[in-house]
Amino acid sequence: MSLLFYISSVVAIVATLLVITCHRPIHALLYLVVSFLAVSMIFLSLGAPFVAVLEVILYAGAIIVLLIFVVMMLNLGQEAALQEKQWLQPKVWVGPSILVAVLLLEMSILLLRGESAAIQPAVDMKRISLVLFKEYVIAVELVGFLLMAGIVGAAHIGKHKKKHPHRFLQNGKENGHADNNENNKEVKPGELLKEEMIHN
Amino acid sequence: MQHVWIVLGVLFVLLNVAAGLIWVERRMLAMWQDRLGPNRAGPLGLLIVLADTLKLFFKEDWIPSFADKKIFVIAPAIVVASVLMSFVVIPFAPGIVVADLNIGVLFFLAMSSLGVYSIVLGGWASNNKYSLLGAMRGASQMIAYEVFMGLSLMGVVMMTGSFRLTDIVEAQRSVWFCFTQPLGLILFFIAGIAETHRLPFDIPESESELIAGFHSEYSGMKFGMFFIGEYLGVTLISAMTVTMFFGGWMGPEFLPGWAWFFIKTFAFILFFILLRASLPRPRYDQLMESGWKVLLPLVLVNILVTGAVLLYLKG
Amino acid sequence: MQLLNILLDIAKTDSAEGYFPIGLQLLFAAGFVATMMVATHLLGPKRKTADKLENFASGIPTHGDARTPMAIKYFLVAILFVLFDVEVIFFYPYAVNFRELGWTGFWEVLLFVGFFLVGFIYIIKKGALKWED
Repeated sequence: MSLLFYISSVVAIVATLLVITCHRPIHALLYLVVSFLAVSMIFLSLGAPFVAVLEVILYAGAIIVLLIFVVMMLNLGQEAALQEKQWLQPKVWVGPSILVAVLLLEMSILLLRGESAAIQPAVDMKRISLVLFKEYVIAVELVGFLLMAGIVGAAHIGKHKKKHPHRFLQNGKENGHADNNENNKEVKPGELLKEEMIHN
Repeated sequence: MQHVWIVLGVLFVLLNVAAGLIWVERRMLAMWQDRLGPNRAGPLGLLIVLADTLKLFFKEDWIPSFADKKIFVIAPAIVVASVLMSFVVIPFAPGIVVADLNIGVLFFLAMSSLGVYSIVLGGWASNNKYSLLGAMRGASQMIAYEVFMGLSLMGVVMMTGSFRLTDIVEAQRSVWFCFTQPLGLILFFIAGIAETHRLPFDIPESESELIAGFHSEYSGMKFGMFFIGEYLGVTLISAMTVTMFFGGWMGPEFLPGWAWFFIKTFAFILFFILLRASLPRPRYDQLMESGWKVLLPLVLVNILVTGAVLLYLKG
Repeated sequence: MQLLNILLDIAKTDSAEGYFPIGLQLLFAAGFVATMMVATHLLGPKRKTADKLENFASGIPTHGDARTPMAIKYFLVAILFVLFDVEVIFFYPYAVNFRELGWTGFWEVLLFVGFFLVGFIYIIKKGALKWED
């Protein structure tokens, strides 16, 4: 296979490793963008330009933006960074990495034994579209259905209900215990989301 | 070697156009607002471009101590690089195109979707409340308008049956798509203004409330990069509009193709400046709500109507 | 120049020959950006004084960290953007080939848009897209 393929594969792997080891979320996300761009280059070198472009539009352009928004919204600060650092201690990652190494060995044996797959001819966009809207049209409609459910779900997760009226309004009702109430019950948007995520 | 010359030529022209726009914009704004504008340095004040550039180079390149240094440096680089990459697919004249990809339109969309990082990262790295607000606003605005930017071009793609930009230009030999796809043109242009966050959609940097928003901490040529990126973005959207809707290099024979392309693109750049000179900034919630509730349904209607009419005509 | 020759060789050995100019453009664009950044760093004066962090004139002192949690509205916009972007992706292959797909393809896409619009109208009715609440 081509040199381009190997270069971009190495970039993708290194970038992904850096995503895991970086303990500042925004830096990790930047490496994730690099990783996605490298994967898109892999698709390009294998003759699938359409998938390559979709990789950039969807993953690098949309999903990472969502993740950056999450990071900005939560803004976990120093404690979270310390926690991240603790996760990088050997006792945490040695076990899983041995298991993964076994899998990798298995896969490389399989790859070396099997006959090397011939490079596919470039995938034509017209063919993708014909296959997608003829043979797999049920899948397309199901995706449409799933996305509808996703949109509805997103609207409910993101709904910012004002559970507690403003403290001036509270004052009138509850005879001046507004300050206590506010300190105990006030829910910040970030916390609301964390709760939601745990429930899901 | 031919590729190298084309790439170098395209970059040279683009960067000079971007620099020249500093002067054009200030002179035009002055003309429309009944002022004089820069008229001292050199003939017609043209040397103001040189003076401004030199000034930016010799300003202190200050990175705030509270900023995230790496990302602070990367952010302005992303904006220029991503816009310059978008120009790869634009055919300036028959034969003068860096790479005539068969996924040209999608490549343009992919590159412009990366542009949002410059704002969001620049604002975040500055570690300044105004910058962060500007970054959040800018990012939401750009992603909301990006959704239907792609869709607004699909009408043209349906009429051509190709994502290749030279095919799209060739398909306009008899009639330009601005006559057959007027709704697509308007929607694309609105999305383009929002993507380049130019006035009237310059909410991420609105100077009267966010003191320049996401780039208020930047100085020297790093600030200049955002500036160049903005002008390159204006040029890019104008060039794309011309290619997709106004017949690209097509025009009467007495001028060569590239001249027509530049004349048309320049007309759209002037239109951008005219918009800046004449329109007020909408409120943020108005911008977001009109994007989702009005423009997105309209763009879907445009696609479906185009499809139905074309299939009906085919019989 | 040698680097260029190596690149040319890579381009020739590749199946993706048409993409070589893009790599070239990326190289030159990145080179331009890097040159500008380095030049402004070297040319500009450097005056490291603590005064720069002081408030200018009658500026108000800053309070706390700038990176405070943001409103959930922005998150909602981002998640809707991802969902809509996936929807939009399906229009790209349809648009380029819709003549071959004919009326059947058109009804299929109409159904797809229908699902989309049902979800969309629902969230508008629920007020999820209202910025002020």
